Amino acid sequence: MLSAKRKGERLIVYLSGEIDHCAADKLRQEIEARIAETKTGELCFDFSSVSFMDSSGVGMIIGRYKTMQALGGRVTACGLHPPVDRLFHLAGLHRIIDIAPSGRHEEA
Amino acid sequence: MKNQMELIFPSLAENEAFARMVISAFLVGVNPTLSVVSEIRTAVSEAVTNAVVHAYAGTTGRIILRARLTEEHVEIEIEDFGRGIENVEQAMQPFFTTQPDQERTGMGFALMQSFMDEVSVESSPGNGTAVKMIKRLEDAHA
Repeated sequence: MLSAKRKGERLIVYLSGEIDHCAADKLRQEIEARIAETKTGELCFDFSSVSFMDSSGVGMIIGRYKTMQALGGRVTACGLHPPVDRLFHLAGLHRIIDIAPSGRHEEA
Repeated sequence: MKNQMELIFPSLAENEAFARMVISAFLVGVNPTLSVVSEIRTAVSEAVTNAVVHAYAGTTGRIILRARLTEEHVEIEIEDFGRGIENVEQAMQPFFTTQPDQERTGMGFALMQSFMDEVSVESSPGNGTAVKMIKRLEDAHA
């Protein structure tokens, strides 16, 4: 469901599968642990392998945004498929999270 | 009437994914577009999640998913027998939530309304909740 890697200052979290209420609780705990462990300044979510997301996923993303904000860091996202991209817009997430084309984090 | 189904399952979080799979499978015969399937799956997921986290909050009860397919539309009903909603109008306001500490966004009903053509909610305290949704299918075929 989740893998992560450190790239410089960036913590890249690769999400996969279906992010609903059932999955979001576990993701929240795992990602919080990675943030604490790496003390990263930028949390980057890669959504390339996410096949479904609902408002519980949105809540999980906003929660991590708040964590990063409290630490003086930021959140970015890439690899949004059309349904996830639409949800980002409906929820206003694109206003608080920088969205990059898929694979952008690999370049730097 | 073209087809109909009824599914009864306990309010376990893992059944949110199960309900989405069942509604997708039910719609296969009408060959809807990916976008329509995605919208219906999201609406069902939001309604079932509400039943799991609000109606039964911490307890386990029955959820019924009913779907009825006609030539023109699909009608979906998600019914629970949980605590019910005191103020339906308030609960349907975007971003209203009773559980902000649980990272609930209060977007559930707003998404159901965005993704479906009609949404109605029948509920009263102690008597459970029934969410009825209709999605027109005339332009939905792939």
